[in-house]
Amino acid sequence: MQFTGLPLQTVLALAAAAAVFVTVLYLLKLRKRRIEVPFSPLWNQVLASQKSYTDWWNRLKRLLSWLIHIVLVALLAFAMAGPHFKDEVLTGRHILVLIDNSASMAATDVNGGIDRLDIARRKAADILETVSSQDRIMVAAFNTRIEPLSPFTNDTSLLETPLQNLSVAATGTTYEQALAFAADSLRDKGQSELLIISDGAGLEGKSFENFNFDQETTIRHLKIGERSDNIAITAFNARRYLANKLDFELFVQIQSFFDREIDAELELYADERLVETRQIQLQPDEIYQTFYPSQAIAGEKLEARVRITSRDARDVFPLDDRAYALLPAAQKLRVQLVTDGNLFLEGTLLLNPNIEVTRTRLHEYDVSQSFDVTIFDRVAPPIPDTGNFVYFAPSGPDSPFDTQGAINNPIITDIKKSHPLMRWITLKDVNIGQSVKFRRKSGDDAVASAFGDPIIMTRRETATTDQPDLQRNLIAIGFDVRNSDFPMRVAFPVFIFNLLDYLTIDDQDFIASHETGETWSIKLPADIPTSDVTATMHTPTGQRLPVPIFDGRAMFYGETPGFYRLEIPGVSSVSRPASILLAANMNDVDESRIAPFQLELPDTEVSDQAEALVFRRHQLWIWILLLVSLVLMLEWWTYNRRVTQ
Amino acid sequence: MTVSTKEKTTEKFDEEFLKKLEYLYIMSKKIVSGSARAERKKRLVGSGIEFADHRPYAAGDDFRTLDWKIYGRTEKLFLRLFEEEEDLYIYFLIDSSRSMQIGQINGQANKWNYAKQVAAALGYIGLSNFDRVSIIPFSSQLEGRMPPARGRAQIFKIFDFLNRAEPGQQTNMADAFKKFVNQNKRTGLAVVISDFYDPEGFEAGLNFLRYHRFEPIVIQLFDDRELDVNLHGELQLVDSETGNVTNITVTPDILKQYRAAFEHFSNQLDDYCKKRQILYFRAPIQVPFDELILKIFRAGGFIK
Repeated sequence: MQFTGLPLQTVLALAAAAAVFVTVLYLLKLRKRRIEVPFSPLWNQVLASQKSYTDWWNRLKRLLSWLIHIVLVALLAFAMAGPHFKDEVLTGRHILVLIDNSASMAATDVNGGIDRLDIARRKAADILETVSSQDRIMVAAFNTRIEPLSPFTNDTSLLETPLQNLSVAATGTTYEQALAFAADSLRDKGQSELLIISDGAGLEGKSFENFNFDQETTIRHLKIGERSDNIAITAFNARRYLANKLDFELFVQIQSFFDREIDAELELYADERLVETRQIQLQPDEIYQTFYPSQAIAGEKLEARVRITSRDARDVFPLDDRAYALLPAAQKLRVQLVTDGNLFLEGTLLLNPNIEVTRTRLHEYDVSQSFDVTIFDRVAPPIPDTGNFVYFAPSGPDSPFDTQGAINNPIITDIKKSHPLMRWITLKDVNIGQSVKFRRKSGDDAVASAFGDPIIMTRRETATTDQPDLQRNLIAIGFDVRNSDFPMRVAFPVFIFNLLDYLTIDDQDFIASHETGETWSIKLPADIPTSDVTATMHTPTGQRLPVPIFDGRAMFYGETPGFYRLEIPGVSSVSRPASILLAANMNDVDESRIAPFQLELPDTEVSDQAEALVFRRHQLWIWILLLVSLVLMLEWWTYNRRVTQ
Repeated sequence: MTVSTKEKTTEKFDEEFLKKLEYLYIMSKKIVSGSARAERKKRLVGSGIEFADHRPYAAGDDFRTLDWKIYGRTEKLFLRLFEEEEDLYIYFLIDSSRSMQIGQINGQANKWNYAKQVAAALGYIGLSNFDRVSIIPFSSQLEGRMPPARGRAQIFKIFDFLNRAEPGQQTNMADAFKKFVNQNKRTGLAVVISDFYDPEGFEAGLNFLRYHRFEPIVIQLFDDRELDVNLHGELQLVDSETGNVTNITVTPDILKQYRAAFEHFSNQLDDYCKKRQILYFRAPIQVPFDELILKIFRAGGFIK
């Protein structure tokens, strides 16, 4: 038995005083009412027959009455001491409520709420209402990261607003991180409770390490959700063709989590215009993949939507029914050709409408002007620290390539066929009159060689101690195209475009979408200052969030699928305003597998009941008072009633 | 105690009461038909004309009544006794003890008031029959005395006496009646109106009357409220006369036994009277007194 009421000494003092008081009152009560009768011997005759019984009963009754009152006083004193059962929790607990707000909690397969998170919110609110004022409670949301809504507090009213504002994040769930956080938070906190309110999506087949929870920590998992009926777009990509940048191809992957066959419809949107629909049929747990080749749809924002057309099926998790992708803009490549005149090169470059050619003579060459690629034809002027440069027969003191004489009639003997420059071509039978003999440096990559002497080679120059801003891609072709039959060959324009592709196209033909639940590192254009600038991110939900920029990259945590737009303000005289479009998808198969699952931990019991968490203090003193009242009523009714006239 | 609806308020000895007495007197004549007017005489043996009996001679007796013929035959002295007639004396012995006073709440009649009404009524009948009526309240002693009066006109004297009669204390019939017989040598009817709540018992007192040639008539009064008490729980019962205190837990069973005890007590009194040919009447004071009077008339014995 435990006591939480008045101190024992106080209770004993009060009980003693009350006992004395009751005894005095009892003695006063014994002064019976006097009734005058005309002839008492008649009454005595009556009493004589019952005398022995009456005397014994009266003595017992009087003593019993006094004893009852003393017992009542003792009961009241007992009640004042605040008795509680031995196994009852009296001291405050530390309660950590972890609410899963990952994407799967947006599933609508629940009764009594909008979605799983709504049910979780209600259950958490119920817990907040039933905990003791002595309990210290903390509520934290978790998905791929932990977001405590409060520190441990016994003022549950502070938790109501953050709890109501809690929303689903279209991210995955990292249970390990959440459990580790819980173990650390509840360590050495004495009696503690961990309540995880989650659907357990993704827990199936997952095993955990031992998180070393304290012995006094009770772990509970309230499983939310009932069904697994869902189809999801798990991949959606678009990329332009290398050879034909006007066209592109699409890839869509859809996965069914139904346990039966369903019909669905896949829709494609470009800049919010429906451009393609396709009826599909999905077998149980089927992963459906499809390509859309040679698409020439105008638009930049691509969106794939899938919806169930089977009448007897319902997708309870719509969050993964849409996927987003960006198509790289078909922008022209700015190429500067520094030459005294070379129709072969000029003509080849002019063949491609996506290339904007600027022909510059050597004396007109301005090193400060920036181009995507600069081609030097038999000249080698000074070049800036950054940029892409192609040299044909380079010579002169400013050439980045050292030479040691020439090679007459070189025969190309070695070719790296897998090199991007050699894509779709071969140079073995090219006749070359003369080629520069390069002196190779460390890091130079010979693409084509003539008996070991590089004829075509590439070099990537990166920052060094002396040149911290150095970032150059260089390609050297040792011969003059006019002194060969190479321009006469079909491979020549292909080679020229391979040069340009190698230098520029790799990171522009495909824009990977970002994944929600991760911190995105967004590379900014080179002319964006690295400090004192704060960009603004326009989210799919219409929010505008400040985004810090560090080291030429903007860091942003996105948790909603859709299109984002990052706006970087321009700095006067340094840079112009810029806008970067981003696509974000959930792309988490584990999260789309929304079948609820119960958490299991090694060496730790996980209860699936939360009723025991409800703070139920047995207020025995109330029952004692009721008992006292009842006994008083009975005593009055059976003994102390007096109706006399 | 609860008040019975039958209870009547204390009646006064006024004109209305007197009319009621006159009515009772007329009714008595109807009930006792054929009797002579006011000639109820007491039959004594003394100096009359008509021979009645003999008795042995005692020293001091008048020699003139010796029966010499018997002396001649037996040589023993016997006196000749003759019937002697005189007026009937009616003594109303009214219990004025405290037990008779209980129950006068809010002007309601108690046994004391009722007893005075009965005495006045019977006394009026007696006066009207030219009997000598005397009223003597008693408790443990005699609480005054109205000398014997004769003639209907003396009724107001009775009224006046009864109005001035004071309540007494504890009942002790033996002592009271002992004094009564000592003070009243002329025997006659002794109408005892009482509740007979005598701790020493009623037998001794009545025996005193009988042994001194008084002819007792017993009228036992009781109050229904004494029997139908509404008491519950722990009480202290205080005897109205002795002040003795009795602790009691009153229950319905106790009340039932009390009523049985009272019935037993009354039956004892009734048996005593029957065995000794004493007229006995029992009446609750909730019954109008004239009904009791008529009951007495019908029983006979009081009017001859």
